[in-house]
Amino acid sequence: MKTTGILWRLASFAVAAGFVALWQLIANFKLVSPVFLPGPDRAWASLVRGFSSGDLLAKLAGTVEHMAYGWLAASIAGIALGAVIGSSPRMRTYVAPSLEFLRPLPVSAIIPVAIAMLGLTQAMALFVIAFGAIWPIMLATIHGFAAVEPRLYEVARSLQMSKLAVIFKIALPSASPDILAGMRLSLTVALILAVVCEILAGLDGLGHWVLLSARAFRSADLFAGVILLGVTGYVTSVAMSLAEHRLLAWQASQR
Amino acid sequence: MSDNTAKNTAKHTAKALVLPVALLVAFEVWARATHLQSDSLAAPSDVVRALAEAFADFSILIATRDTLFSAFTGLAIGSIIGLALGIAFGLSNTLNRLMEVTVEAIRPIPSIALLPIALIALGFGYRMEIVIVAFACVWPILILSRAAVRSIEPRLMEVSRALRLPAAQRVWKIIIPAALPRIFVAFRLSAGIALIVAVTVEIAINPIGLGAGIMLAQQALRADLMLAYLVWIGVIGYALNIVLVVAQRRLFGRAALSGDSA
Amino acid sequence: MKAQVKAQVKAQGTANAQRQFDPVAGHPTPQVAFADVTLDLGGKTIIENLSLGVQPAEFLCIVGASGCGKTTALRLAAGLYQPTRGKVTFDGQPMREPRREIAIVFQDYGKALLPWRTAAGNVSLALEAGGMPAAERPARIEELLRTVGLPGHAGKYPAEMSGGMQQRLQIARCLAQEPKTLLMDEPFGALDAMTRQGLQDEVLSLVAASGVTVIFVTHDLDEAIYLGDRVIGLLPHPGRIGIELPVNLPRPRDQLSTREHPEFLRLRRQLFDFIKATEQ
Repeated sequence: MKTTGILWRLASFAVAAGFVALWQLIANFKLVSPVFLPGPDRAWASLVRGFSSGDLLAKLAGTVEHMAYGWLAASIAGIALGAVIGSSPRMRTYVAPSLEFLRPLPVSAIIPVAIAMLGLTQAMALFVIAFGAIWPIMLATIHGFAAVEPRLYEVARSLQMSKLAVIFKIALPSASPDILAGMRLSLTVALILAVVCEILAGLDGLGHWVLLSARAFRSADLFAGVILLGVTGYVTSVAMSLAEHRLLAWQASQR
Repeated sequence: MSDNTAKNTAKHTAKALVLPVALLVAFEVWARATHLQSDSLAAPSDVVRALAEAFADFSILIATRDTLFSAFTGLAIGSIIGLALGIAFGLSNTLNRLMEVTVEAIRPIPSIALLPIALIALGFGYRMEIVIVAFACVWPILILSRAAVRSIEPRLMEVSRALRLPAAQRVWKIIIPAALPRIFVAFRLSAGIALIVAVTVEIAINPIGLGAGIMLAQQALRADLMLAYLVWIGVIGYALNIVLVVAQRRLFGRAALSGDSA
Repeated sequence: MKAQVKAQVKAQGTANAQRQFDPVAGHPTPQVAFADVTLDLGGKTIIENLSLGVQPAEFLCIVGASGCGKTTALRLAAGLYQPTRGKVTFDGQPMREPRREIAIVFQDYGKALLPWRTAAGNVSLALEAGGMPAAERPARIEELLRTVGLPGHAGKYPAEMSGGMQQRLQIARCLAQEPKTLLMDEPFGALDAMTRQGLQDEVLSLVAASGVTVIFVTHDLDEAIYLGDRVIGLLPHPGRIGIELPVNLPRPRDQLSTREHPEFLRLRRQLFDFIKATEQ
């Protein structure tokens, strides 16, 4: 059973390698202008060059930093606000509809407002990323808190648990699957907004790097940057999956 | 009884409106009292006036048309590609497993990262925006339609085999109708994504549509017009969502909404 | 497990005999008392003028057709509901809110356990609420899990346990409260017949060992007679007392001989007729 799984995985890697080879062939025969499409060899060379000179690493670090700070701020604020709103039925009736109304708003539309307030600065980028990333987390937390099994609140009452203990021992763990799902969604939002802010504000990061490369028609550098962005998205989402897997081990047996 | 529930909904709506109305009134009063002069804020009444003016000279309508055209064209292209791949991967486990690594390698690329590539390949305008929107829409449709096809009642597939339906008919007459409710959920989610990506591309770089309009207003230091665009973009996002939720309920009943969490 | 329970039962044989409740020469002050209690919920009267005293160490069973308010009565005793009129008291003091001396075992064990905590963690919750220092908890948890027949399952999550095991776990958490009164709301209603009988005997021996007062709600007449010192039958719409039967069956009780006892059969007949009459 396990070996067939590995064989499938290998076959799947072979198919992916085939696509890369096809890409190389297209580039070699110049079926697409090399200005737009560098071969994987040139993209790889650019990646290696960028890393050995430290340029690309610095850009990568910049993007990851923007993303991480914004996302962490959004997580803390989102969970706190979501907990306050979600644990009070009164708050829910008054506040939740407004939040639901704002939910489908394309968050990037807040960027010009942030620029007007904060200028083309790091602070603007962090504000935009945090603002965009807070919605999925906050709404998921509200939902999670509202959906706590009422029986558990009765258990807490008959144990005469304090309000704080109820939040930390009953409501938060019960809402944790929702919260983590929200945090996962936000991770993607944070990465996209980090790139957009870097493009707009010229902040040090991969977004700025790919834009500059495109302007100078350095397609190999451009592809190297895009590949790195893909890797960043992949690695963060895998890390998030691992965290979810660990934190929600108790759910595995339920499904 | 029904009179009572109607009263209750009215009460709920009223309660829902308390907060936003109170905030708007407070802000209006504050702006008037302090004779607000700002590059980033404007009194609600000024924002409404700016919105009305933008409607009067059609500028916001043209921008809306551009944004929606790009978003919907991209959505259509992305949906067709995503659906075709999703159905193929859902039906053939072999294909699905062989393509796994390729899909997992491309999917995490943030759609906006393709912006510079699309820019040098296609230049400014609709085409680059459509390509990026389509790329963003392919993945949710692919993944949800693949799951939808896989969860089709096996009995139904046996029936189609027993009837000896040719492959194309099997897809058209059995698989798509059976998976349609869940595919529509995917489509609804993707429509939201399409609008977000289109506006984002316009804000970042593309000089057309609502995103460019709001950026222009900001650069002209017209806070009222900028916020008018923001409100209008919000209204469009909200309206799109409502239309699709209502359509989903009409088409597939309430039960279909339960598939949302998937 | 079985052997251990038997040993316990034997050891408490005499205590069991003493526990035999005599309603006439009963304790002067009841532990849980309902004085003319009426409860309206959503414009409907669920319980009307209910008066009831439960003596310390008594095992009281409440039966009735569905919708007669037996679960509601239990929730009033737990302090989860407040009466509209009348008074519920515990040790003479009015019940304004739930108290730790009163533990409640819910029927839906699947909802009343924390799915993200292991068996040990679920028991620990009650110890934490009682303010027991962390260092003392593990030993107490192990002891409690052994008492309910779950030794060696400390690390399992509720979802990994059978229904019977989950209900044992809920009982262990309630025992961790060191309650004076144990309220049980159809605790075995969702379990199969074999598991149910085993748990009935275990509850009897646990109760005998700790001397806790029990109010046990069930729709199973046999179960009520088998377990109780006294059985109360409620009339529905609104809930009020329709019949009250002292159970003079010898303890310790036995699944075979007790259920064949002429007194058991007589009580069963009487209760059965009562319930049948209320349903018409």
